[in-house]
Amino acid sequence: MRTRFLIVDDSELVRKSLRTVLQANPDWEICGEAADGETAVALFRELHPNIVILDFQMRGINGIETARRMSEVAPAVPIVLFTQHASPDLERHAREAGIRSVVSKTNAFPMVGMIEALLGPADSEPAATGSAGSGKGHAE
Amino acid sequence: MREHEKVNILMVDDQPGKLVTYEAILNELGENLIKARSGKEALDHLLRTDIAIVLMDVSMPELDGFELADMIRQHPRFQKIAIIFISAVHLTDLDRLNAYQRGAVDYISVPVVPELLRAKVRVFADLHRKTHQLETLNRDLRSLSARLLAMQDEERRRIARDLHDSIGPLIAALSMNNGLLAQQTKKLGPEVADVLQQNNQLVEQLSKETRTISHLLHPPLLDEIGLLPAIKMFAEGFAERSSVKVSVELSPVIGRLPPNVEISVFRIVQECLTNVYRHSGSKTAYIKIAPSQEKLLTVQVCDEGKGMPRTNGVPASPGSNHGVGLSGMRERLRELGGTLEIQSSENGTTVIAAVPVTKPMVKNV
Repeated sequence: MRTRFLIVDDSELVRKSLRTVLQANPDWEICGEAADGETAVALFRELHPNIVILDFQMRGINGIETARRMSEVAPAVPIVLFTQHASPDLERHAREAGIRSVVSKTNAFPMVGMIEALLGPADSEPAATGSAGSGKGHAE
Repeated sequence: MREHEKVNILMVDDQPGKLVTYEAILNELGENLIKARSGKEALDHLLRTDIAIVLMDVSMPELDGFELADMIRQHPRFQKIAIIFISAVHLTDLDRLNAYQRGAVDYISVPVVPELLRAKVRVFADLHRKTHQLETLNRDLRSLSARLLAMQDEERRRIARDLHDSIGPLIAALSMNNGLLAQQTKKLGPEVADVLQQNNQLVEQLSKETRTISHLLHPPLLDEIGLLPAIKMFAEGFAERSSVKVSVELSPVIGRLPPNVEISVFRIVQECLTNVYRHSGSKTAYIKIAPSQEKLLTVQVCDEGKGMPRTNGVPASPGSNHGVGLSGMRERLRELGGTLEIQSSENGTTVIAAVPVTKPMVKNV
């Protein structure tokens, strides 16, 4: 089963680049895209992604608040904050909101490795996607 | 009050004949003349009307002129009233001194020389008008300056946002594309790989510069997660750029504050650190933000520099030698009902800003 990504960024250009980077891995697919936090939370409930790549600064609710709402729905789904403003303080707030990892937009190269680490060796197994994508992870 | 607007002159005497005389003398000034037959009646007028000048007899039954002057001076709203005594008795130097100690501006003895009385009253009427005009202008300037500061904040926020929205995604896309290319380095010749590596560095540098400009314009964390993370991030960036060692002590009980308080406190700290770097020569700076009372936030920025320039042994008036920095801080604090204190010696400067907050500070982030 392929790993399904939800990507959230208010810039179409960033989403396009993310698609290119993520789809370079044949086991990964983009199941949905959103340009703001509210839409992202709705898509998260609807699409049951296995992982979320999330922008921080957006119109409306920011990435941390978006993550907090997603974590209430399915805490097992890893969320990666993808931001221009990476800092230790932001990272601390991000972790409190259930975000697993913060990646700087200006040095995106380690992102792929970080995602692989987050998905763990079970990536190829249904277990990882199962825990997040099953009814248990997405209690609604 | 307009340039030629009439001022109110209150004439107080228990003898109606004298009031009529004063009226005849002062009529040609064209001001509003109000008559009172006793101290009590005078107080009634004072409470109801904005009086510029009180012209009064010293000896009156019940409340005499000196007692009335005392009562006038005790009332905060009446501080600027010019009191002129007129007396036929009580003409010793001690009486005059008594009058001046009670805040009188003049002490005229009877018989009154009409031209002289008129001239004196005219001076104080004009002074009152000009004072009033200055106060109005001052208020207008304050409100203009507050609006300018708010507009400047808003404009900076907008430019920072524009940078984030326009250049930010381009940098992110460049960085990701470079990342993809880097995975193909084996297929590239060493020279191309080298150029790619240089491009990566350029993108990082571009990003860093943009970030610095954007953060100086408006710290993104301020709106999103609050004052304290924004201050910490700014202090770290400042220390890196300036080589001034900055230590930060922030009380964890401070949660989110109203947006105008957060931006003002941030700007005050930013201004202080800029002064440390530009003027103090200090290699260190210390920032402390903590509640000093339940609803009072104290912001303290210290350095170990050479201190502020001194005039006659006291630190030069804020704003006079430091551009708009310190006076800008004062304006921001005035808007918030806060205060600014500066302690400066050859061993360093400490700036202490106290900012009232409406709700008790409780961490809620």
